[in-house]
Amino acid sequence: MKTRFKIHKTIGFIFLFIAGFTSCTSDLDITPKDDQTALSEDLFKDDAAYKQVLAGIYANLALTGTDGPGSSNLKNIDAGTSQFGRVLLYVQTLSADQMIWSYENDPGTREIQRNLWTAQNPLLLGMYSRAHLSIALANNFLRETTDAKLDERNVSSSVRGDIPAYRAEARLMRAMAYYYMMDIFGQANFVTEDDALNSQPPAYGRAELFTFVESELLAIDGDLVASKQNEYGRADKAVAYMILAKMYLNAQVYIGTDRNADCLSYCEQIIGGGYSLATNYLHNFMADNNTNSAINEIIFPIISDGFTTQNYGPTTVMINGSVGSIEENGTEVGVGAGGWGGALRVRKQFVELFNGAFVNDDRNTIISEDRSIDIVDISDKDSGYIIQKYSNATSTGSFGVDQTFVDTDFPLFRLADVYLMYAEAHLRGGGGSVSTAVDYINALRTRANNISMINSAELTLDFILDERARELHWEAHRRQDLVRYGKFTGGNYNWAWKGNGSNGIALPSHMDIYPIPSGSLASNPNLTQNPGY
Amino acid sequence: MKTTINSLLFFLFFAPVYLFGQTTLTGTVTEQSTSIPLPGVNVVIKGSATGTATDFDGNYQITVNNGDVIVFSYLGYQSIEITYSGQAPLNVQLLEDAAQLSEIVIIGYGTTTKKDATGSVEAITSEDFTKGNIVTAENLISGRVAGVSVTTSGAPGSGSQIRIRGGSSINASNDPLIIIDGLPISNNGVGGSRGVLASINPNDIDSFSVLKDASATAIYGSRASNGVIIIVTKKGKSTFSATYDVQYSFGELTDRIGVFTGNEFRQLIASQPINGTTIDESLLGSANTDWQDEIFRNTVSNQHNVSMQGSLFKAIPARFSFGTTKQEGAVLTSQFERRNLSLALNPSFFDNHLKVNLNANMSFEDNRFGDSGQIGAALRYDPTQTVYDPSSPFGGFYQHRNGSVLSNGTTNPVASLLQTNNYGDSNRTYGNLNFDYKFHFLPELRAVLNIGFDETEAKTINSSSTLVATNDDVKGNASRGFQIRTNKLLDGYLTYNKEFDKLRTEFTAGYSYQEFTNSGDNTGNTRDPLTFASTFADPNVVLIGFFGRANFSVLDKYLVTLTYRRDGTSRFSKENQWGDFPAAAVAWNISDEDFLKDSKTISSLKLRAGYGITGQQEVEEKDIFLNRYRAGDENSQYQFNNSVIRSLITSEINPDLKWEETATIELGVDYGLFDERISGSLNFFQKNSTDLLFTAAVADGTNFSNSVIQNIGELQIQGLEFSINADVIKQEDFTVDFNFNATFLDREIKDLALGQDVRTGGISGGTGNNIQMLRVGEAPNSFSVYKQLYDTSNNPIEGAYVDLNGDNIINDDDRYLKENPGADVILGFQSNINYKNFDFAFNLRANLGNYVYNNVNSSRAQYELLQDNAVLGNVPTTVLNTNFQRTSDVIISDIYIEDASFLKMDNITLGYTFNNISKSLKSLRLWGGIQNVFTITNYSGLDPEVFDGIDNIIYPRPRTILAGANFKF
Repeated sequence: MKTRFKIHKTIGFIFLFIAGFTSCTSDLDITPKDDQTALSEDLFKDDAAYKQVLAGIYANLALTGTDGPGSSNLKNIDAGTSQFGRVLLYVQTLSADQMIWSYENDPGTREIQRNLWTAQNPLLLGMYSRAHLSIALANNFLRETTDAKLDERNVSSSVRGDIPAYRAEARLMRAMAYYYMMDIFGQANFVTEDDALNSQPPAYGRAELFTFVESELLAIDGDLVASKQNEYGRADKAVAYMILAKMYLNAQVYIGTDRNADCLSYCEQIIGGGYSLATNYLHNFMADNNTNSAINEIIFPIISDGFTTQNYGPTTVMINGSVGSIEENGTEVGVGAGGWGGALRVRKQFVELFNGAFVNDDRNTIISEDRSIDIVDISDKDSGYIIQKYSNATSTGSFGVDQTFVDTDFPLFRLADVYLMYAEAHLRGGGGSVSTAVDYINALRTRANNISMINSAELTLDFILDERARELHWEAHRRQDLVRYGKFTGGNYNWAWKGNGSNGIALPSHMDIYPIPSGSLASNPNLTQNPGY
Repeated sequence: MKTTINSLLFFLFFAPVYLFGQTTLTGTVTEQSTSIPLPGVNVVIKGSATGTATDFDGNYQITVNNGDVIVFSYLGYQSIEITYSGQAPLNVQLLEDAAQLSEIVIIGYGTTTKKDATGSVEAITSEDFTKGNIVTAENLISGRVAGVSVTTSGAPGSGSQIRIRGGSSINASNDPLIIIDGLPISNNGVGGSRGVLASINPNDIDSFSVLKDASATAIYGSRASNGVIIIVTKKGKSTFSATYDVQYSFGELTDRIGVFTGNEFRQLIASQPINGTTIDESLLGSANTDWQDEIFRNTVSNQHNVSMQGSLFKAIPARFSFGTTKQEGAVLTSQFERRNLSLALNPSFFDNHLKVNLNANMSFEDNRFGDSGQIGAALRYDPTQTVYDPSSPFGGFYQHRNGSVLSNGTTNPVASLLQTNNYGDSNRTYGNLNFDYKFHFLPELRAVLNIGFDETEAKTINSSSTLVATNDDVKGNASRGFQIRTNKLLDGYLTYNKEFDKLRTEFTAGYSYQEFTNSGDNTGNTRDPLTFASTFADPNVVLIGFFGRANFSVLDKYLVTLTYRRDGTSRFSKENQWGDFPAAAVAWNISDEDFLKDSKTISSLKLRAGYGITGQQEVEEKDIFLNRYRAGDENSQYQFNNSVIRSLITSEINPDLKWEETATIELGVDYGLFDERISGSLNFFQKNSTDLLFTAAVADGTNFSNSVIQNIGELQIQGLEFSINADVIKQEDFTVDFNFNATFLDREIKDLALGQDVRTGGISGGTGNNIQMLRVGEAPNSFSVYKQLYDTSNNPIEGAYVDLNGDNIINDDDRYLKENPGADVILGFQSNINYKNFDFAFNLRANLGNYVYNNVNSSRAQYELLQDNAVLGNVPTTVLNTNFQRTSDVIISDIYIEDASFLKMDNITLGYTFNNISKSLKSLRLWGGIQNVFTITNYSGLDPEVFDGIDNIIYPRPRTILAGANFKF
């Protein structure tokens, strides 16, 4: 009897032992503890979150991560070199005739600027992945702002009133990403808000992307805020028109169809939206280009701020990078005296565009003293001319808050480009008026304090290409322009270091588009490598 | 609840007392050779249930009848049977079991004996520890155990990379699970500390058990894939003894990286060796400064340890120790200081039915981190300039400057070191309380409850002079950080032992709960008005496990062990958080079979075979399965309408993440010859890790990163281990023994995400360059390089490589894989020689077939680097061998992949012991030695033993002269 009693107690003890512990298994279901991280179910209890998440889509163009300029939400690529504007600048400008990067041991730069790229190039991975992250973030926003979700969360009517514009902007950012993919790679992973996480989406080629982007931009027109009426930093109707105008201008390249008339019509719509040229050409590229006269000209900026929005983006890179190795002129532009020791210079063919009538043109910021025009050895930072286009100084003579991370916003789209597109579309048979075109060009000249005006006879396609370089150099347009003119590949225009020859060598035509990065290619079997790679 | 507490109390205090009218026999049991009393010896009347155990002074008391046979048995000793015939008292001396086969081996949640072990377990006790300048615990077994490699840098008190059988993962952790007295510790350190084992006093360690194969480790399920190291600390004893150990060491760096001297540098610059660039000779100074001599120093270090063992209040066996360590680093200003307090209380109650073990440790670690990055600056700094310059506005240190404006280029490394004070203060409290209760009414059943706690609080203070070399408006740095990590453990298990006629069985079942936290804050640079204070808090990591084990031993010859663990982790979603980890092993003691029983040659021979599955969940991501948004910090926000909006960016997510699993097959032989004078093992193993936790590309646009941790890929590691321990000479005054171990490892990636190569192995020289690659069919981290072309006189042609794919373009597609950093063979050899009162020990260690990418030469030995932005910079003299001009042309060349096989003598010590000096001082041993005696290698760099195969200036390991004394009271 006694024994039985003991056994019962023993069993009881064992059960107590186990029961006491098993109840703790719910501890496995953890939640984040960091105050920067929130779960979606908690986040959207706050109506203010919708705008913050929308801001996240925009921020992806400026930031590489959430924890400082060195952080990255992409992998297998250096944080700095996956910044949207920077990689865009590399693929559109560094690859062409305007820019040289001195530190060729920075991975990928050598191959881009000497046109030796392969699918392994990390900068191309940065471009492809960063743009697709914009797509993913936009899709997520669209999923979280469906009527059903908003009903379920009892979102206030004032926020619900803003949601259609927010959603239109998310779709606009997604369309813009697809537009760049169409231009640069000719292919994209086609993912919408209806696709599952980690799926293997279909690959869209140029024609499908063209159709999709066009239809999206047209579809959201009603919901987008009118031109110049949205908050600075957010996109409005003019941004959608700008992308449409660019697509139509390059439609021959993308889909083999002439859409110059559509281009010209959208240029007119943008110009009719109330934009005007900045009073000073350089205002567009200064630390206060978010408040000076450039706000009338810039259609869509990528924000940079020395404190709140630090990044290794195009303006930080160009302002620090264009400080001369000999001149050590960084303090003039609001960064450290030595800057980055002469990281950026210009190529000879670019310099030659400013001969003659352009010596005193405001757009000519070339510094040539004690320098040779030729760059024989790319690592010799004392050779080749430098420019001083972008600055971390303000129009009133003060400087940005930080000496490395500049306050200067990157003018992704601005009115001067629209003027030049109008003129080009006109010359390509898109209609409009030649005198308007000439007036637009001369308006740019006048604004640059260049007294040399052009007449309608001088307005030719080749002239436009050169004038675009003078006006829009280092603004991530050049490769697209050269491709449209048939001058990027082939041998009819060879610039210094094209094809890895110091005087330029012809490129095969498949290089008009970049290869799909090998990492991206492998992760989606629906993609096929572009021909020639 | 009250009832259960009552029942609990009832069981704890239930002490059955049986009284009969017999003689009460008393006596003491001692160890024969040392006369030290043996506690816990079983004293039983043969053929009856009557029995007791000796107390901590070896005393026992038992009631007997005349003619009873009393059996004295103790694990590790030969049992004695004595017939009672009125002796009073009956003192017994037990003889240590010569064969040592009954040596206790600590395993997971229990113990076994060497003879009964079915898995690959190696026990290293204090007498086998590696000797010499031991600052951190893991170095006690460095080179000592087959299959275990320990790589430590030269930084004072630095942590080590420990690998058991080469790890098991690619992306996830390869660190073994380390358990201190039953408390698994986290492998993540804190900011102010040098490493997770840096706060532990090696002097407090009694023994290590290294669990290598799955059948041994599977009881730790989810954390067992990389092997387990169980550290057992010293316990209290009831007899008084005390020790004082002191050690002084004097370190000197014996080697330097060859760079140009001031005079050579002036000549070299005058020769204008950079093609296409004219160097400004006016920048040259007139001094001759060896910057490496300026930043390196000879070091003096010391260690003191006091320990006392004895009975507290005449009842509680206790041990107390206090240790201090102060170690200077070879790089100016770097220093490691540690103070340890350790207390062990080991009382037992109710006739030893309840044993309580309390270990409480406190460790205070003070570090000054001398920036080892300044070694690179010292290699680079212009040797024609002086260290000091009275006219310099930068604190009197020479700096390249134009008046008060600093020129663009490297800054004076001596100034950087002396003007910066990066201080880390880390206080750790850890320990455990262990209850081991043998049920009174059912002595076959034991319940063990273990409560563990480990908390580290670290403060970091970074401050620098306001005269540091900078052109910034913000002069230098002043910041403070705080971090706290905690680790709480509760586990308990029941063990049931039952012996039948020919069968011995043991069953164990238990539960384990462990929680880790990590949080902290940082002020940011308080001198910078733009800076901001920040905080961080990791999600908790919670691990819960249920485990069980069954051991069967038939006729002591045929052994079977079955193990099972079910583990849950907070790292995965509800659907995936549980994993099952079974293992089985069989062993056959052939030497107990009749045909070998009487062999004079073979004293033991055991065949073992095991198979098991272990898991891995130790990845950086702690909450990636959740749908998270992350707000930008103060520097990472956006602006709408020129006002800040705290942008929220969706975080990468993988709700499907689950356990990485490693299946291990093991075949082994344990042998002993000539009465165990020669013994050892031979093991073959194969580990296949599947569902590798691997950060791999996802289709762009389908997640919130381009690459997300997933379960993809397979890694296979095959290996062969051999060890031999031999007592070559075993005489009373003269003994010679040695241990030799060899490990052969072969690693191969069997599968990767979509078969895709993965670049890895970041190097210096340009941002983001990678030199290594993961590729299916190859060893992990093989070097991916261009094949160098040579001219007719066999000199490398700069930038000229073999066009391997024949497309007339040299680009990334022409890189090939050449060798890998893993050693094919790892060898260790230790020997101890004792002659009369002299003791002599040394150890040798060799790695064969390990290759290193010489990043020092690849990123530095090119002429263009003589121009260091606006100033002049030094380069390694190896540039004269290649005459290379540009780093970017050559950095990926296979010329920098070198065979880094080496043979090292880590230490050699000689000691002399004086015995019975006085009544209180039992012995005094004086000893001296040398650490890092020599290295034999063909590797051209400073030290072939680098981390992960990339030599990018390691913290150099000094040669150290040691002198010490051990006092025993």
